[in-house]
Amino acid sequence: MVVTTTYDRRPTTVFPMTKRIDFEQNSEKALQNAPLQATLRTAMVRFRALRISAVEEIPDWQALRQHAHDTKAHALAHLDRYLEQLERQVTGAGGVVHWARDADEARNLITRLAGSSGRRVVKSKSMTTEEIELNDALEHAGCEVTETDLGEYLVQLAGERPAHIIAPVVHKSKEAIAALLSEKLGVPRYDDAQELTRVAREALRRKFLEADVGISGVNFAVAETGTIVVVENEGNARLATTLPRMHIAVMGIEKVIPRLADLDVFLTLLPRSATGQRMSSYVSFLTGPRRAGEADGPQELHLVLLDNGRTAIHADSSMRESLACIRCGACLNVCPVFERTAGHAYGSEYSGPIGAVLTPLFEGLDVAGDLPFASSLCGACGEVCPVKIELPRLLLELRSRVVRQRGAPVAERLFVWGWVNAMKSARRLAIAGKVARVVQRFMSAVHLPLPYPFSRWSASRELPTPPAKAFRERTL
Amino acid sequence: MRVALFVTCLIDQLFPGVAEATVTVLRRCGIEPALVPEQTCCGQIAFNDGFWPESRTLARRHLDLFEGADAVVTPSGSCAAMVREFYSMLLQEDHNLTARAHHAGARTYELTEFLVDVLHRSDVGARFPHRVTYHASCHGLRGLGVRNQPLQLLSRVQDLELRTLDGVEECCGFGGMFAVKFAGLSGAMLETKMRAIEASGAEFVTATDASCLMHIDGGLRRQRSSVKALHVAEILASQ
Amino acid sequence: MTTARDVILTRLRQAAGPAVPLPELPRLNAPRSDLISLFIERATAAGTEIETSSVERLASTIIDELTRTRVNRVAMWEDRLLTQTRAALRATPLEVLDPWDHARESVAGADAGITIADFAIALTGTLVLDCSPAHPRSTSLLPPVHLAVIPAEHVVASLGDVLTRTGPLPSALTFITGPSRTADIELTPVLGVHGPTRVKVYLLT
Repeated sequence: MVVTTTYDRRPTTVFPMTKRIDFEQNSEKALQNAPLQATLRTAMVRFRALRISAVEEIPDWQALRQHAHDTKAHALAHLDRYLEQLERQVTGAGGVVHWARDADEARNLITRLAGSSGRRVVKSKSMTTEEIELNDALEHAGCEVTETDLGEYLVQLAGERPAHIIAPVVHKSKEAIAALLSEKLGVPRYDDAQELTRVAREALRRKFLEADVGISGVNFAVAETGTIVVVENEGNARLATTLPRMHIAVMGIEKVIPRLADLDVFLTLLPRSATGQRMSSYVSFLTGPRRAGEADGPQELHLVLLDNGRTAIHADSSMRESLACIRCGACLNVCPVFERTAGHAYGSEYSGPIGAVLTPLFEGLDVAGDLPFASSLCGACGEVCPVKIELPRLLLELRSRVVRQRGAPVAERLFVWGWVNAMKSARRLAIAGKVARVVQRFMSAVHLPLPYPFSRWSASRELPTPPAKAFRERTL
Repeated sequence: MRVALFVTCLIDQLFPGVAEATVTVLRRCGIEPALVPEQTCCGQIAFNDGFWPESRTLARRHLDLFEGADAVVTPSGSCAAMVREFYSMLLQEDHNLTARAHHAGARTYELTEFLVDVLHRSDVGARFPHRVTYHASCHGLRGLGVRNQPLQLLSRVQDLELRTLDGVEECCGFGGMFAVKFAGLSGAMLETKMRAIEASGAEFVTATDASCLMHIDGGLRRQRSSVKALHVAEILASQ
Repeated sequence: MTTARDVILTRLRQAAGPAVPLPELPRLNAPRSDLISLFIERATAAGTEIETSSVERLASTIIDELTRTRVNRVAMWEDRLLTQTRAALRATPLEVLDPWDHARESVAGADAGITIADFAIALTGTLVLDCSPAHPRSTSLLPPVHLAVIPAEHVVASLGDVLTRTGPLPSALTFITGPSRTADIELTPVLGVHGPTRVKVYLLT
């Protein structure tokens, strides 16, 4: 059985997102997709258990979270200084630093660089390159771009968007993947994950060996030493940053951390939070391009520092902490809403709780104002965030901004107005309560449908039976 | 110690038995709570929905009404969390109120944490000869850190058989307006919770929040389940 | 002409609020057990094979491994610790690729890559490899098997310990924890995606 998701995709042009992300509609579609629900439930339950085991092993876990939080807060408060230091160090090590105000600028400069080196590009997984829709720009310019992270490769073959920031094809069953590889590569339909992986490995090996340019993301950039840190399990980032003559690393400006020694804390938190591993299979500390006499490594190393809305978030004091995110995916994995919708419903490459914060900030409240409300505020996300971003608070703050800026539907405004007015005095509440009980008895006697919001409640639940008297009438 | 009862609008209007049970339990522990007849609502529902100015009206009123008490006890984890965790956020622009908000928060307790952490009581002389499973309401759990207290109290209830709930810390799907705005998701989360409740073999599901229980009970009754929802206070008041 | 750099830095400076202190590095609880056995346990859990050996026995041990697994071509670092092994290998029919022979096609065709490791991290079961003209990156990456030699004295507790001991950074410092892996397909763990399928450590005591 093929499990497919067909949600609204962001337009693949240079125009900004204008269509409102209708999370209710998107989530309803996801909920009706039973195979997707089953696949996601299994995956998320598994991720949660893995994370817990890895975390329980570290007695200092809470102290580490706090330390990481404070380090990021400091780095963000002095971001200009650290970016300047990073630039000096990277340049000193033989790299070239480029600054890009927005996606357009980043796409243009990367396309120019890639074109100057040759046209065959291999990419390892990078949220930032997805954010700026880099692949489309490169292909437009005549480059051949191959995603090499297995999940991203499969997503690229399928012509879809990733469903999760760490596990891009978490929404696809093995059978769906087998069918996809068979269709696109002409291989038999294998039954076995091992075989399917081998198919992808062989197909991609050739690409690595022939590539002119390797493009990667950056997990951390150390200002002190000008070191780019890339974390992965498959080895494709190592290949993409070792074999081609040019390496282009793309990073959001918020990724810089002050000292090399800080990596001990961050690299303890990241793999355990993301996949429950003590350490990912490969962590590369890259400081400049290859040096004289070295047999491999890129001849040229380019680091692209991307703003694309980050300085605006940085200037927003209540929202700045969202820039501390280290893209581990833990909040996605514990979120009961993400579990039932996966990434596509969020209309952006940033999904889950952090996506519900970043997308409204990046794209504006008119487009993404639904997202902060798509949460029961259970707080599971804030509890697991390795850098202690207070996600529920950020969601609440965004909600108040949406109401102020975009307003709310009439029925909802009426409801809140009615509620607050009834609550302004004990007498009013007593009267309102009595009236409501009378009305409710009448309406259930004549089987009338209830108004919003009670109508939606009744779709899957019985209404509570009101008591004859409220507590205040019985005792107060 | 002057203890005031923070009834909550939901319990006052829809679940008065929970408030009565709370008073019963407190009296058994030697506390006569002041009922504060003028109280209405802490403003949580408006706050969570983004209507902050409206919520502030109710928050200020709440602070005024409960000013005199040494401790404010409520059978609602979410309402206690509203005061303790979010009043300072809601009222941050008004410097006069932020200190009062902090002070109120420090004195506001959910019932089970008041009994265990303040009164140092785990045994409140209750008897409830039934199989019961406990759902950890989110705001109490993550907002207040109420994790062990309800279980401690339930473990001392005579003849009560406590059944573990699979996914005990998973949200039931209520979330205030979320339950109607994203009714599909809310219903799906409820479905998961109900399956776990049925699988536990319990006759009753309990929690520290009437809002969760109202939502869970609504689903159980729709499915004609034999399992009933009962607030922790009502179990603790049983004899 | 205002550059992107000017615009970005100006915006950041304008937004800067009150100074926030840089926290001191935390003193973490050091692992209690013996580092060597902890490293063996953690590396094994990550899928690395470990064999204890000695400087004297290393060459013959490696030749046994390569013979057993029918290796034809091996890519190899040049290092003091590998001198005897290299000499011994040259006496066999095996093709040995030296660092200056590391053209990518030939290394890609090698059956195994032999390196040393500067450090091993006990807490996570991780090998630390530097990079230099004698220590290419692709030796531990392109061939399907990676054999790494490390003296037991080079096992340290944590990543932090490596960072305090390591000198100026090389162009690439690589931390390897087990073979290449993925769980992208239905969360089924699969080894040997793009990097080596097997990693074997010779721990010299």
